[in-house]
Amino acid sequence: MIEVRALTKTFVTGELITPVLKGIDLTVKTGEFIAIMGRSGAGKSTLMYHMSLLDVPTSGSIFIDGVDALSMNESEKVRFRLRTFGYVFQEYALLPELNAIENVAVPLLMQGLDRASAETRAADALIKVGLEKRLGSLPSKLSGGEQQRVAIARAVAHTPSILFADEPTANLDRESSASVLDIFQELHADGQTIIMVTHEDEYGALAERIVRIDDGKIVDTTQASHARSRRTHAQP
Amino acid sequence: MINARVGFYLALRQIRRASLWTTGLIVFVMVLTFLNLVVVSGILVGLIQGAVDATRARYTSDVIISALPDKDYIENSQNIITIVSTIPQIDAFTPRYRESGVLEANYKTRRETDKPNTAGGQVVGIDPRFEHEVTGLADGIIEGSFLEPGDFDQVVLGHYLLKQYLPIETPAFSTLENVGVGTKIRLRVGDVMREVTVKGILFAKVDEISLSAFMVDAQLRGLIGRSDGNVDEIAIKVRDGVDPGVVRDALVRQGVGGYAKVQTFEDAQPKFLKDMIKTFSMLGAAFSSIGLVVASITVFIVIFINAFTRRKYIGILKGIGINGRAIEWSYVFQSIFYAVIGSAIGIAVVYALLVPFFAANPINFPFSDGILVAPLDATVFRMGLLVCATVIAGYIPAWMIIRKNTLDSILGRN
Repeated sequence: MIEVRALTKTFVTGELITPVLKGIDLTVKTGEFIAIMGRSGAGKSTLMYHMSLLDVPTSGSIFIDGVDALSMNESEKVRFRLRTFGYVFQEYALLPELNAIENVAVPLLMQGLDRASAETRAADALIKVGLEKRLGSLPSKLSGGEQQRVAIARAVAHTPSILFADEPTANLDRESSASVLDIFQELHADGQTIIMVTHEDEYGALAERIVRIDDGKIVDTTQASHARSRRTHAQP
Repeated sequence: MINARVGFYLALRQIRRASLWTTGLIVFVMVLTFLNLVVVSGILVGLIQGAVDATRARYTSDVIISALPDKDYIENSQNIITIVSTIPQIDAFTPRYRESGVLEANYKTRRETDKPNTAGGQVVGIDPRFEHEVTGLADGIIEGSFLEPGDFDQVVLGHYLLKQYLPIETPAFSTLENVGVGTKIRLRVGDVMREVTVKGILFAKVDEISLSAFMVDAQLRGLIGRSDGNVDEIAIKVRDGVDPGVVRDALVRQGVGGYAKVQTFEDAQPKFLKDMIKTFSMLGAAFSSIGLVVASITVFIVIFINAFTRRKYIGILKGIGINGRAIEWSYVFQSIFYAVIGSAIGIAVVYALLVPFFAANPINFPFSDGILVAPLDATVFRMGLLVCATVIAGYIPAWMIIRKNTLDSILGRN
């Protein structure tokens, strides 16, 4: 479970002060699939970076499974991210010289698995996302959708507590996007906590809960059963 | 340990799947740098080493016994020769007589007012068979023929005594003009003057040979009136694989040191030669260090560009929990790969190609036949130097990129 309390972030560039997050309170329960939505510049990605400990807030607190995440030093955060989080980025971010299995295996090796075990587990993860015929392919030989599926396999191979996805369908065509979202829904069905940033209503609607952000504040939260029909004001 | 393991995993795959041209170019630069490190100083030292080797081969041989500084010749020479002939590690030896002398060429044709055409040098009395066995001196004959036992009133001249081989003229040094094989010249040793015929001309890049006139020992002994059998020097050739120092020590232990100076060829090297070797080594190291800096900069730029263009990937790797140290290791391993492969190829080129080539085709310098000197320990040291410099040059840019803020790297923010 993630608990975000009174989170603020202000960027200061010379004399220019830009508040991006203005007191965010949000709780994500274990096993929940939420979509963070909002227009461009609303602060949705910034919120995700803070929740995933990639950025440091100006004020506020973040508790992850009861652990005060902001009290950790940088190397503790790196270890924590490796153990607890999985990430899917907008631009896949696969290492070009590593094939699909190797890209997925790297975080597993970092967790201490030997090469054979890591690659076996990586292959399993790739098979789960439907890439059993592309295990040895380099990223340059994969389509955008396939690359994103490799990225998803990399993100979930080590069975993280929480999966973060930042605009995972932004660079994909409709068919590939649907395929990626299918995988997310399957993972969610298996109990995976997923926090996804997206600006596309169609894909956000597939989440269990939609959190809308505007001007650095949560302005709306919608439960899945009402996702297409009803919006309520934020009740964090 | 995990960081190094992951770093190795990443590096191996990056190298394996990198552009062959890029990898080839970097390795090529490393090979050139390694050759620069080894060959420049090796050739410079080799110029002097060529002279040292020639002196050993043609003059001192492995061990040389010579007169004590305050004596004109080796006292008790016959006993010393007996001792020398009993030492089993000795293959051959040649006793020599050596006196200063003056050679004169135009004494038959010059008028009263003409300047005599003379050349000063050492007159060396040898047993031609023994001498050839030890120094192979007869192989250096470029005109005429070498001495035979029993030759009388015949000399072999070092080529620097003749103007056609050393066309310089200074008040301090003169050579003989119009003298060749068959020419009669006058030889003066002390107060004794004798007309002799030039039997051959000897070429050597060793002053003790090229500025000497050789004649059969029995005749020189008579000219200088040395009837006690004492000689001026004894050059000794040891058997293959025997350390000359062992023979020197054996001779000293048997009391030879009380009558003569016993030196290995290394001991007998003039100090200026040793100093030149040191100086040339330093010069070589200075030149080579420039190459080392160039190689370091090359690797720095290559790794920097590689890491900089991949900073987004690096940020993401860090973001997903890959320790920055593991990424640094991957660049360090890549640098080690370039340096080790470059050095390995360099070593193969040096020992399989260049050393044998220069041994067979020495560089023809006036004072020596230059060879390539590349002792294995020094070569391995230089390889270590190249690897260290390359690792540092590879680590610094990787460290610079990796220490950047993770999120900034992911988002491509500066």
